[in-house]
Amino acid sequence: MSTFTTECYQNEYLPLGGAEVHAIVTVSSDGIAGDTSQPEAAEVVIIDTSGSMGAPAHKLESAREATRVAIDCIRDGVVFGVIAGTDTARAVYPTDGTLAIASDRTRSEAKRALGRLIAQGGTAIGSWLTLAGTLFATAPGRSCHAILLTDGENQHETDEHLNGVLVELERRFQCDCRGVGTDWKVSELRRVASALLGSVDIISHPRDMSEDFGALMQTAMGKSTGNVSLRLWTPQGASVAFVRQVVPTIEELTARAVQVNPQTADYPTATWGPESRDYHLCINVHPGEVGDEMLAGRVSLVEGDDIRATALVKAIWTDNEQLSTRIETHVASYTDQVELADCIQQGLEARKEGDLATATFKLGRAVKLADESGNEGTMKLLQRVVEVEDPATGTVRLRGDVAIVDEMTLDTRSTVTVRVGPGAT
Amino acid sequence: MSVICPNGHESGTADYCDVCGALIAAASPAGGSPATGLPVGEITEVLPVVEEVDTSPAARREPCPACGAARSGEDRYCESCGYDFLAPPPAPSAWEAIVTADRAQFDRLAVDGVSFPADYRERRFALADGENRIGRSRGRPDESAPEIDLAGAPADPGVSRLHAALERRRDGVIVVRDLGSTNGTMVNDDPTPIDPHTAIALADGDRVRVGAWTTITVRRS
Repeated sequence: MSTFTTECYQNEYLPLGGAEVHAIVTVSSDGIAGDTSQPEAAEVVIIDTSGSMGAPAHKLESAREATRVAIDCIRDGVVFGVIAGTDTARAVYPTDGTLAIASDRTRSEAKRALGRLIAQGGTAIGSWLTLAGTLFATAPGRSCHAILLTDGENQHETDEHLNGVLVELERRFQCDCRGVGTDWKVSELRRVASALLGSVDIISHPRDMSEDFGALMQTAMGKSTGNVSLRLWTPQGASVAFVRQVVPTIEELTARAVQVNPQTADYPTATWGPESRDYHLCINVHPGEVGDEMLAGRVSLVEGDDIRATALVKAIWTDNEQLSTRIETHVASYTDQVELADCIQQGLEARKEGDLATATFKLGRAVKLADESGNEGTMKLLQRVVEVEDPATGTVRLRGDVAIVDEMTLDTRSTVTVRVGPGAT
Repeated sequence: MSVICPNGHESGTADYCDVCGALIAAASPAGGSPATGLPVGEITEVLPVVEEVDTSPAARREPCPACGAARSGEDRYCESCGYDFLAPPPAPSAWEAIVTADRAQFDRLAVDGVSFPADYRERRFALADGENRIGRSRGRPDESAPEIDLAGAPADPGVSRLHAALERRRDGVIVVRDLGSTNGTMVNDDPTPIDPHTAIALADGDRVRVGAWTTITVRRS
């Protein structure tokens, strides 16, 4: 059982009449499994084998190789399977409608089965996920994780169908999504990854696939705690404005609330390895009198119903403006970084639609926010899309010749944040 | 072990009330009898509960908004979950910008060739989340007009096309930022323009002054 710790950053002082309480809660897990038997994992790799994966021919070969690398990372005893996706889904290994128990024998059988894949047909991501859900259902009690690779848009089923599948599969398994090349749609894959609590990223060149798949599977194998939720208690009459993961990536959790009782809701966080995540909470409370102190939120990490760590979000009303107007560094920085992601997505959208004035304004603002929050990764990606004249004022010029891969990389990674340093006050 | 909070709720947690969140001061299980936070265990006399269903019209009241249980008569607190029926609803946090013409500002600046508008009707703009730009659009179909567009007559010639921005941050703080305007942006009665591209936090009722006579008051509505 890994140990969880929490830290809470907030300015608990509110002005008279102030009703909005903000806090950043950092949750860390040491990722040590300990002696209690942790439910073992179930892993499924879903490879797009649509016609386009055959052009260029090495794309499918790279996907095969990457899947082999991923399979080699699977621990003995974990159950696993491989699915080939086109306009339908087919189990490549094992083929009996279950998952195989990992061993030297099954791993090499699975790798051999990959050799028989051919690139032919369309793309229907919902049907691939449905098959994964069916396979995972044969391994009850395990913590289920999938890696999905695609190179195209979801053309052979409706948006409604995919949405329906995502609602049905929510919390059944976690799915990391990867798009290879530039013919897939960022918003579509982000929707899948977000609904299934996974990550999304671009693999711009097929040769980088193996390294990425290996890393994904190794991370999956390092997860020691499953079924963890962030539990938030709020006082009577208060309302939760939002709950948002802000580190390592931005993920809105508000709509995922599972009500425990009228004052308490759980927000699923999937599995944890040795890692640390930050959450931004905003709670509306009844304003108190000067000097009143109240608990605006009690945040717990729960595994099933066991409380593993707790943090308190407080509100104290004061007439001292110096106290109440202070903006807490963590709250400020993560607020900026959320706006940064919004500006990038809106700016790129405007650019696509030919609204260059809005695109320049939004991407300029993004540059300013990336500069202020010290998000160097995002700044580098922004510089491939705009020429930065002055980062401090956000003065930029749109570049005329932007490689589509740079645009998609910026879009995909717009939600990657940087943590506010421990020295920040 | 449960305690009674200052608002009269029975709380299962001893630090803050698990119903209303109120601080339970000096409530220690062993400690004498503090003003608030009496251990429930000390109440020895328990009155028998009379199970009686009140069907009179007065008793047919709205169910508890928190748990749905029927409210019993005029009881302040819900019998089932302790919800406080008299608690005021959470304060809405909508903000608006109210634009007016300020004679004092006009007289002080006394810009040559600009006259004070004879008829100025107050304009109100609801502040959206994020940036609300203040400026004057050219009225072209392809431009991205500022959210707080002061182009309509009477137009203040001292306001730049893109002058400043009021930002409603996600942490609830309203800030103003000058976007590099020609004539600058002032806050309240300070005659010194704020530094361009620097966020200044505003409080309810603060005035942002731009141009020859335009005053924009931010208000929680």
